[in-house]
Amino acid sequence: MGEMISMPLFKRDIQVCIMPFLAVFALLCMYTIVIVYMYNPELSDMLSGYQEALPELMAAVGMTGAASDLLEWMQIYLYGFIMLLFPLIFTLVMVQKLLLGQIESGTLANLLATPNSRKKVICTQMVSLILGVALLILLVTAVGVVSCEALFPGELDVGKYLALNFSTFLLQASVAGIAFLAACFASGGRFYYLVGAGLPVLFFFIQMASNMGEKLEGLRYATIYSLLPVEGILKENILFPVQNLALLGIAAALFGLGAWQFCRRDLPL
Amino acid sequence: MDTKPVIEIQHATKDYGNGKGVFDLSFSVPKGEVFGYLGPNGAGKTTTIRQLMGFIRPDQGICRIMGKDCFQKAQEIQKKAGYLAGELAFPEDMTGRGFLKFMADLKGMEDHSYMEELMERFELDPKGKMGKMSKGMKQKVGIVNAFMHHPEVVVLDEPTSGLDPLMQNTFVELILEQKQKGTTILMSSHIFEEVEKTCDRTAIIRSGRIVAVEDMKGLARKRKKIYRVTLQGREAVEGLLREPGVQAWRQKGMAEGVLPNQAELTVTGNLPDVLQKFAAYGIQDLEVRPQSLEELFLQYYEDGRQEKGRWGK
Repeated sequence: MGEMISMPLFKRDIQVCIMPFLAVFALLCMYTIVIVYMYNPELSDMLSGYQEALPELMAAVGMTGAASDLLEWMQIYLYGFIMLLFPLIFTLVMVQKLLLGQIESGTLANLLATPNSRKKVICTQMVSLILGVALLILLVTAVGVVSCEALFPGELDVGKYLALNFSTFLLQASVAGIAFLAACFASGGRFYYLVGAGLPVLFFFIQMASNMGEKLEGLRYATIYSLLPVEGILKENILFPVQNLALLGIAAALFGLGAWQFCRRDLPL
Repeated sequence: MDTKPVIEIQHATKDYGNGKGVFDLSFSVPKGEVFGYLGPNGAGKTTTIRQLMGFIRPDQGICRIMGKDCFQKAQEIQKKAGYLAGELAFPEDMTGRGFLKFMADLKGMEDHSYMEELMERFELDPKGKMGKMSKGMKQKVGIVNAFMHHPEVVVLDEPTSGLDPLMQNTFVELILEQKQKGTTILMSSHIFEEVEKTCDRTAIIRSGRIVAVEDMKGLARKRKKIYRVTLQGREAVEGLLREPGVQAWRQKGMAEGVLPNQAELTVTGNLPDVLQKFAAYGIQDLEVRPQSLEELFLQYYEDGRQEKGRWGK
């Protein structure tokens, strides 16, 4: 561990990322608690009414179908939009602060002018990024469980809820991998914003479009977000471990390739 | 005596295209030497230093510090190396002391006494946030950072830029002290006095190529004094310049502000005789200045060659 991670740098990373973390965490908590709080059959009818009145809009943000239980309710109203977008924003801020910003501003030179190898530096940044995303989802999960138990004791299928969040973490880690890889290859900000930030945002919009109707449904094969095994988890389909493995593989490949490139590239410092 | 060079560059080339980059650089710095690295802006000084720091890899050739490859073994080299970047980039949210402590942790330093001593010597106010610091104050932070862990090799890119004259002196003292301790130092600079006071040898780089490696004492001897004489009129000036023992000082771009009744010249003959001639031609004013580094190198290496851009500040 000591060989791969620099503790002083890791502590500094926490200091740098704590504010965006708290901001995104607060937002996600608010949404989670509000959505759980809103769970009741009457409101379900009302929201179904919205779905009839504004079918495209509600579909775009993944809010389709009637919820038969609390977990489905949460899945429909949180995991089609909010739990995809806000962790993405957090990830992009993290990659900017931990990696791209350091390369662009030149502060990375200070780190590399110490007896810490590039491998150690990039591993530390990678661990900070992944742990940040993991902690965010973990804490939101805890808030979800606690608020469900407080408001509707016993109604949440906790096992499936944990599975849904674990897959969400894998998905967000893969998305973080895209941004990380782009930052490791980027020689300037433009490439990074086009690929590292642009591609995940594009995937997100494709996901929204593919939700909107049968004509655009084919688009879901063009976005990483459709790898979130929502159906699989809710219906205990055999496919969901496969999708999890696919996400894990994608994340590992993206991070591995990024770190490899970082260690061998010329840095404009 | 250890005769193996501490810093060693052999035929290093880094081609960025369009004639930018460095080409076939070779020089070496033995232990304990202070080595100057001079050249105009864009000549390739920083590109050379980046290769020494292992930030970039040469396309061809070898860069070694203490016998180790600068790119492959950067981590091992950095245990005993100090570095001051040409363009300082510090995290803006940290205070000076906070940053230096962070760097000390990254360097695995236990003893902070020398860091404190250097901060005191450079009158560094470590409380303010780095984002609000002046250029000079950041430079002090950078200097303390480069030396606080007792490095054996130090690479400094334009170390005195932004420092006031008092601090420049403090810096020169520090370099001389380090030299006595046997520290090997490579520094790029454009201030002749600083290089003259501190460096043993100096490499001169132009357009990505090393044009000479000079002994500093020899270079200083070649430095001329330039006399600016104000006479009554243009005829008197022309007359004076025809006298023996006097040579007109003409260099491209150097004659700015010379009035028609003024002449810039160097004295090649006997000084008392020449001074008497000044008087005979009705001298009104006389200024003497040492030849600047820029002029020295232009004279030294540009004679008969087309000038390709001025020396930067």
